[in-house]
Amino acid sequence: MATDLPLVVDTLARLFQPDTLARILVEGLGKAAVYFVLAVGLTLVFGLMGVLNFSHGAMAMLGAYIGGLLMVLAVSDGTGTVARIAFFFVAIVAVFAVLTAFGSTIEYSLIRPIYDRTPMYQILLTFGLALIVEEVTRIVVLARGIQPDPAWSAAMATAPTQFTDRHDLLGASIRGLYAFEIVLGVLAVVGVWLFLNRTLYGLYIRAGSEDPEMVEALGVDVRRTFTIVFGLGTGLAGIGGVFLMWDPLWGPSALLAMDVLLYAFVVVIIGGLGSFEGTVVASLLVGITDSFTTWLFSTGIVTFTGLPALTIFGLLVLMLILRPQGLYGVEEVGGH
Amino acid sequence: MAISPTDRGREPRSDGGADSALETPSDGADSADTRSTASAISSDDHWLASYARDHVAHLLVVAAFALYPIVLGVLDRTPLATEASSFLPGLTAMIVVLYMGLFAMSFDFVSGYTGYLSFGHAAFYGTGAYVVVLAANGKVPGVPADTPFMLIVLLAALLAFVVALAIGAVSFRLSGVYFAMITLGFAQVIYEFVRHWGYVGTNPTEGATIATPDGLSIGVPYVDSLTFAVGRLTGDRFENVLGLGIDVSATMTSYYALGAVVLVCYFAMQRILHSPFGKVMVAIRENEERARAVGYDVFWYKMAAFATSGFFAGIAGALFAAYARGASPDNSFYFLVTADALIMAIIGGIGSLAGPLYGALFHEWLGDILTTDDEGIATYLEQFLPEGILTTEIGGVTLYDLVGTALTGRAPLYLGIIFVLFVLFVPDGLLGSLRDRVGGPVGKRLPDVLDRYRR
Repeated sequence: MATDLPLVVDTLARLFQPDTLARILVEGLGKAAVYFVLAVGLTLVFGLMGVLNFSHGAMAMLGAYIGGLLMVLAVSDGTGTVARIAFFFVAIVAVFAVLTAFGSTIEYSLIRPIYDRTPMYQILLTFGLALIVEEVTRIVVLARGIQPDPAWSAAMATAPTQFTDRHDLLGASIRGLYAFEIVLGVLAVVGVWLFLNRTLYGLYIRAGSEDPEMVEALGVDVRRTFTIVFGLGTGLAGIGGVFLMWDPLWGPSALLAMDVLLYAFVVVIIGGLGSFEGTVVASLLVGITDSFTTWLFSTGIVTFTGLPALTIFGLLVLMLILRPQGLYGVEEVGGH
Repeated sequence: MAISPTDRGREPRSDGGADSALETPSDGADSADTRSTASAISSDDHWLASYARDHVAHLLVVAAFALYPIVLGVLDRTPLATEASSFLPGLTAMIVVLYMGLFAMSFDFVSGYTGYLSFGHAAFYGTGAYVVVLAANGKVPGVPADTPFMLIVLLAALLAFVVALAIGAVSFRLSGVYFAMITLGFAQVIYEFVRHWGYVGTNPTEGATIATPDGLSIGVPYVDSLTFAVGRLTGDRFENVLGLGIDVSATMTSYYALGAVVLVCYFAMQRILHSPFGKVMVAIRENEERARAVGYDVFWYKMAAFATSGFFAGIAGALFAAYARGASPDNSFYFLVTADALIMAIIGGIGSLAGPLYGALFHEWLGDILTTDDEGIATYLEQFLPEGILTTEIGGVTLYDLVGTALTGRAPLYLGIIFVLFVLFVPDGLLGSLRDRVGGPVGKRLPDVLDRYRR
């Protein structure tokens, strides 16, 4: 232990160097942006409908594949950076449109008939749905030869070189993608906030999360709202998938479905199921914790490779023990 | 929250598998019950005969399971051999049915009967599996590598019991979705820990294998003649058993040995569910506040149910590791293992102890006939269909390719579809629906039905 001490002191001293802080902060914010987009659809759906959507991760996976496919089709070697980013936004819009329609169809045809049952059946149904989507994707991907190797390098390769290169920031070398992710994350937070606070359906969602019966009594077609919100939640999951497409830590793969789902759950539970503010704060918390533990591991002070994932699930458990309703959650919501 | 038919606005009925004398008088099953008890007493049978009569359903199922390998062996020598190996689950799949069935039953024990969905049940299964793997490799302190397997199983189950108590102590402050999430969180923490725990083996992500070459012995401890080796394709072989000309292959030994353990566990769980304790579990599921108001300390009842369930899940995990001769985090601690148990329980009928076993049977049967490792449907079609049909092109795809992509190894897809259909249209599962049809737990109704035909 005595020999370890200088290392600990040294590490602590290094933690407060500008380069370390910059690295942890920028990487953390980038990860937070991804976590936010992955989780926000889940929390909207739960807040309004009380449905814990287990197919959320599968939808993100679909988004990653569809977005990746669009990028591979549109981008060639000669395509410039600006054009690539433009195509990226086109892909986001296209994926959002496709998956919103898909999600609405699912809500209308499959989930609507079982609202009168206990919430458990909705969990079971969406979980079965996730299995089907995942397996169909596998079949298509294998049969069409889209993904011979686990990490779909063709889709990853469409990222502009500025994003894959490392850039110097206050002495820390940081991948350009994180800056892009932060911009996208801010756009997503602002976009969802505007939708919730400046549109009619946003009003329905906020009101419906408080008291669905009263909203219905006031003449709002709650059923249609449910269909639209489930669609939007699915679309947001799809956008999250497109975000992951260029991320070297994720990338399009069939395994994405369950991994994304677990991380989205962590964020949503920590923030409080159904709370928009909670999702923002929780994704920041989880993102920065993630980048901090990753850095801690890289210093050699901790030799346990599973540290980031372990800490994130540890956070989930800790939050449920200390404050089951989450940071911003209301105790009543989801307390079925 | 509770998974039970009553939540869908039907007449409340006390639950199925756990039913006994406390049946509500209005249930209609009551008169039949008294009649059967009366006839059992008046006929003045030997107690063993009346016991057998009460358990005729169980005996039939046990007999079916016991005779299955023999039937399979006989079919193999008939002209129907190809059909049998294509459409019936093989013996190795039946072994998976046994331990996964036990795991699904233990999941159902707590989730189906107390209504608390334990989404982290794989934690106990994994604990059981890893205790066996580590103990067999001599890595559990104080447990020598040559400890009898039954003692290791007991140790694994007890450790799973303790883990369940620890997780339950924290988790039972929550309910509903939050309970499911916290148990999932705990299981994932353990999963991530084991995945990177260098003590397990050189590559902990891949898991660890049992180093001993000739499998683990299972049987009655300290009685050598009742000890069988268990492990994939190892195990003891018995030729010409009792001079009857029956050969028992190594796989069959594993099958019967595991089957015996699963049977004992099933009756133990059934016994618990039929006891007053089991009644309280069902009461908690149906209305926890009322159960508390009646005076039960529901927290400790839930804890006990959860820990007991963890105990049996640990046994299931131990059997799995002993049979597979190893375990990896992904096939023991990962939350999709829990999901498998959940699927089995829903298809078989959640809230009935035997249901998950049939769910497991269905699950493994589907997986077995859709593989190409064993001879499955795809292989059968390729042999059976004439060449001309196989190479016919429909939209640029030959039927041969279509069979290959749409059937081979696609069990998860069909399971997903069937699972969704069950959730939508058959929420009570196979056994639950059958129970609705015959008007009570099948095991209880069957003796009367048989009596009616005997007279």
